[in-house]
Amino acid sequence: MNRRGFLRSSAAFGVGAAALAASLKPLLELKDFSSMEKFLQKYYREMTPADMEKVLARITTEVERQYGVRPHVRDLKPMDGVSFVYALNLTRCIGCRKCVHACVKENNQSRSPEIQYIRVLKMPHGSLDIEKSDHDYNPAKVPEKGFFYMPVQCQQCKNPPCVKVCPVHATWQEADGITVIDYDWCIGCRYCMAACPYGARHFNFTKPTIPKDRLNPEMAYLGNRPRTMGVTEKCHFCVQRTRAGRYPACLEVCPAGARKFGNILDPESEVSKILATKRVFIQLKEDLGTSPRFFYYFDV
Amino acid sequence: MNDNKQTRFILVVLTIAFALLAAAFSLDLFGKPAPVHQLPLVDTELLKTETWRRSYADLVSSKAELDAFDCYACHEQGKKQVLKYDDKQQLVIPDEHSDIVMGHGTHGRNNNCFNCHDDSNLLQLQPRDGRALKFEQSTMLCGSCHGPTYRDWEAGMHGRTSGYWNRTKEGADKGDFDGPFKKQDCVNCHNPHSPKFPGRQPAPPPNYLREKHDTPESAQTSH
Repeated sequence: MNRRGFLRSSAAFGVGAAALAASLKPLLELKDFSSMEKFLQKYYREMTPADMEKVLARITTEVERQYGVRPHVRDLKPMDGVSFVYALNLTRCIGCRKCVHACVKENNQSRSPEIQYIRVLKMPHGSLDIEKSDHDYNPAKVPEKGFFYMPVQCQQCKNPPCVKVCPVHATWQEADGITVIDYDWCIGCRYCMAACPYGARHFNFTKPTIPKDRLNPEMAYLGNRPRTMGVTEKCHFCVQRTRAGRYPACLEVCPAGARKFGNILDPESEVSKILATKRVFIQLKEDLGTSPRFFYYFDV
Repeated sequence: MNDNKQTRFILVVLTIAFALLAAAFSLDLFGKPAPVHQLPLVDTELLKTETWRRSYADLVSSKAELDAFDCYACHEQGKKQVLKYDDKQQLVIPDEHSDIVMGHGTHGRNNNCFNCHDDSNLLQLQPRDGRALKFEQSTMLCGSCHGPTYRDWEAGMHGRTSGYWNRTKEGADKGDFDGPFKKQDCVNCHNPHSPKFPGRQPAPPPNYLREKHDTPESAQTSH
């Protein structure tokens, strides 16, 4: 190659490369695209404790970079001899929706667009027709005469249809009965949302927005760590709290004491006594055979 | 040689395409994605876990103002209290106690102050079994009539609980372990003079990305 040829071809190459670089400009605006570490991460159930430590460190730095708050991320495992059950007293619920917002705060759900794990249905007394229920009631005062309120969230089925349809096993049921999602393994196909008869699963169509001062820094890998765009999420019985022995956030905030949670294998727990002595009225859509761990009951 | 020409042609076309793309991006020909509409944040008052009311025991432990419980600042000691009724046999509440709304039960038969308060010692409560209870022990007074509810409350089935479902200290978080769990007294949630919950303003309903179309059959009362 002569000198002129070299200069010409390198100039052409330079122009081509510059044009290519300039045309890739939108990539510069892509923030927080997946790191190589995350891309090469192993499947949750194949990770060794050392692997998990690295993953938790990565999540800690990622969250700190994105939200400006240093979180305390843990990977809490199910406890031996514990099987969780939730019981909700339909006689007591006043429909105030405090549980909905306490859950959003505890579990770092997106504020805009809004993702809420709990939906409170308003129905007339003497009926249980979910098709005719009202989600959007907003009177000056609740409860309204002649109506009852039924909060619906993930029912933590013993026979979960959402787990069966997941093509990549990104969601599964753990030993304590909680169906969890590995947000790093989810491919966002939303089959689980189609399979869930309770509308419990929600999809992050955009990157979730969580104001810095509303971020809950107490996080768990399978629980409330911030999600990315393109993954599903749902109620996980607050694993970051309940696997540390505490009550879920929706229970703590309920002003009517309508929500009860505990270990069904402990005969002294509230839920054991409720299931033994109260009129446990339904498992929602019992006829589908999903066998929820979420029971609705009545006083009297 | 022909191959070389073809390669050069492809490279030139690609370069022009890239240059056009780059120009389009820098001139924002495709437009920016619409920013996500920011929804209002929920009032932090709604996220609080405190009870609506505070029991006498809570007021004492938080060193709050207890003037309202000092009955003998106004009443005369050792004198039996007399209730006044109007001609419809309804209790007349004196002006000094006008903040008290009597609404215990829907039958209107429980509007006698001294069903629960002791008329010979106003600093005491009296259940029907003759015991004398202090204000701190009001839960036992409630239980003397509401037996099944009291039994449920003792088992944690009635009323609010907070803290730990796991009552063993080993099982609970060591970091913030502040007692196994807390049960609330009746009067932390219920006003003893009018125990039915008054209506409260609900937290905001869900926001939709698009305008919500009306459901064809919105909920209607059956009454």
